[in-house]
Amino acid sequence: MTTAIEVANVSKSFRRHRPDRPMMLQEVLARGFGGFRTTEQFWALRDVSFSVPRGRAVGIIGTNGSGKSTLLRLVGGIGSVDSGTVRVNGRIGALLDLGSGIHPDLTGRENVIVAGVLSGLSRREVMRRFDDIVAFSEIGQFIDNPMRTYSSGMQMRLAFAINVHTDPDVLLIDEVLAVGDAAFQHKCLDRIRQFKANGCSILLVSHGLAVVQQLCDEVLWMHNGQPMAQGQVRDVVKKYQEHVGFNMEIELAPETAQPTMPVVPPPPSSRVAPSSEARASELTILEVVLSDDTGHPVSHVTSGREVQVAIDFETSNVSTTPRFQVTIVRDDGLVCCDFSTDRMAAKSPVSRHGRVVLFIDRLDLNSGHYSLDVVALGAHGVEGRPVGVPLTISGDSVRDAVLAVPHRWDFTS
Amino acid sequence: MPSASAELQAPVAGPTGSWLSAGRLAHTRDVLRELIARDVKLRYRGSYFGMAWTLLNPIAELAVLLFIFGSVLPLQIPNYASFLFTGLLVYTWFQSSLFFATVAVVNNRDLIRRPMVPLAVLPIVSVASTLLHFLLSLPVLFTLMAFTGVPFTRALLALPALIAVEFVLILGLSYPLAAMHVWFRDTQYFLKVALQLLFFMTPVFYESRTIPEPFRALYRFNPMVGVVDGYRDVIIRGVLPPLQTWLTLLGVSTALLLVGLAAFKRASRHFADEL
Repeated sequence: MTTAIEVANVSKSFRRHRPDRPMMLQEVLARGFGGFRTTEQFWALRDVSFSVPRGRAVGIIGTNGSGKSTLLRLVGGIGSVDSGTVRVNGRIGALLDLGSGIHPDLTGRENVIVAGVLSGLSRREVMRRFDDIVAFSEIGQFIDNPMRTYSSGMQMRLAFAINVHTDPDVLLIDEVLAVGDAAFQHKCLDRIRQFKANGCSILLVSHGLAVVQQLCDEVLWMHNGQPMAQGQVRDVVKKYQEHVGFNMEIELAPETAQPTMPVVPPPPSSRVAPSSEARASELTILEVVLSDDTGHPVSHVTSGREVQVAIDFETSNVSTTPRFQVTIVRDDGLVCCDFSTDRMAAKSPVSRHGRVVLFIDRLDLNSGHYSLDVVALGAHGVEGRPVGVPLTISGDSVRDAVLAVPHRWDFTS
Repeated sequence: MPSASAELQAPVAGPTGSWLSAGRLAHTRDVLRELIARDVKLRYRGSYFGMAWTLLNPIAELAVLLFIFGSVLPLQIPNYASFLFTGLLVYTWFQSSLFFATVAVVNNRDLIRRPMVPLAVLPIVSVASTLLHFLLSLPVLFTLMAFTGVPFTRALLALPALIAVEFVLILGLSYPLAAMHVWFRDTQYFLKVALQLLFFMTPVFYESRTIPEPFRALYRFNPMVGVVDGYRDVIIRGVLPPLQTWLTLLGVSTALLLVGLAAFKRASRHFADEL
């Protein structure tokens, strides 16, 4: 068998409760029997097919409501398909709903055993791995206290530790990598890489494109319950970003001329704009190149170093100075800084094609994964398609802070 | 509507292979063991009397019924205290198992979302942990018998068989109730009313042979009539219960269990969507 997961022509619908229809008999009697049908059907997945070859990691991306999590659950055998087939070869490990099976009144030790068995290990296997689980979770001596006395971070760490000490052939991951502080997250990612190195197949759902880019060999982009594209990470993520950016443009256009919202993280609404361009844009970003102080193109920089952002553009209106806005967004959606050409001295462009360079003298952001988003602004707001460039910053700091400020210590006594 | 092919190849969580593979069975046994232990630990955790509630409840009922039917409206049944306590314990196990099993799926919605948990264990956990409480109250019954001079006989050796048959009966009723409760949350309220009425239709505080002849056939449709009479035969009267009644009980209970389990498994694919 060479495929770990085989999903063929799967469709899945849910009944959605209509808020204007009654749920209880007393309400039905009060209104008369006219409105007895209380639900309507909507399709969460429509004719989805894809497969995960053995030992590969596939990421599923898409906006909220695109069917990613439903698909992941069906692969895990949770819920039923309306039509089509789902086949999984091997033992399933799941990092979904991590806290399930954990009871607050039981001690950490009792919970490790129950939750370990519930995640597919035999009791003996749990006992054998018990010390490893506790060590991984960094719970220490609190293991014999009731779980309700733990902080939520400790609870999540223990739950995660239990779930990554199984031997799955297929690992399903749903947005759970944001557990604990940066150091613990790093450990979790390492652990998942280790699974992969041992030949485990991975199916991962995430909003964090950085995580997908780090872990996955392939990406499936879901939109409104249907696969839009599957293939190489770079290509599919790029298509997705363009698509999401385009939606943002339509939503932002009637509003303020200076949007400060991050562009690459998916918009909170799953509303999809019609795919027609409303008007020809005056100003188009052709390319965004990130380079270090020597002018070498980079996607990975060290905290505190100089960074240059070169924006090549095309304009049809040579009489106005083009305006750009650059935003650096951390992979969890936090806007770290933004830069606008409005604050620089005006210089009229000389030609239809031009280049503007943003010099960031010191990039004092903490290590992590960021997206650098560039938006062109015209008289009517956002012009053309925003462009997002992935940016990884490395440094010594592992704590979960935004800034890595240059500093020194000195004892003066 | 699910198509036929989807039904045949619905996602199977866990190791490929049948439910009956050795690894699968061993894991199911471990899941059962841990969940039963958790259930027993948690049922009275935080209460002052803890496990003693298992006994306090039937003992309080015993005291009241003993006063009413021993002194106020005397029924003239020999060894009435032990007779009554036997009936109370047997019926309490039946009743509380069904209460807990009915809500077992709905109250464990987090387990529904774990790929490796066989959902059919949930009603078993409820019935089995209640069985443990029943077994823990038996020494109290035996103490009562010793004090009131009820002889212990070899018929008591048949007790495990009776418990096994009652277990199958309760489980057979539990599966359809637990599945039904997922869609129809009034199930637990209907059940409460039904079990309250059934208490009077079961010979807990009176003898089944005092039921007038014209009603007796109908009366015996309640399976708990045969069950309670059987326990009394082996515990109080020191005789083996009528074999034919118990074989019928076993047959009906097994059939109920097989049908109930099949219905439960069929329904369980939709639990995650409903909860």
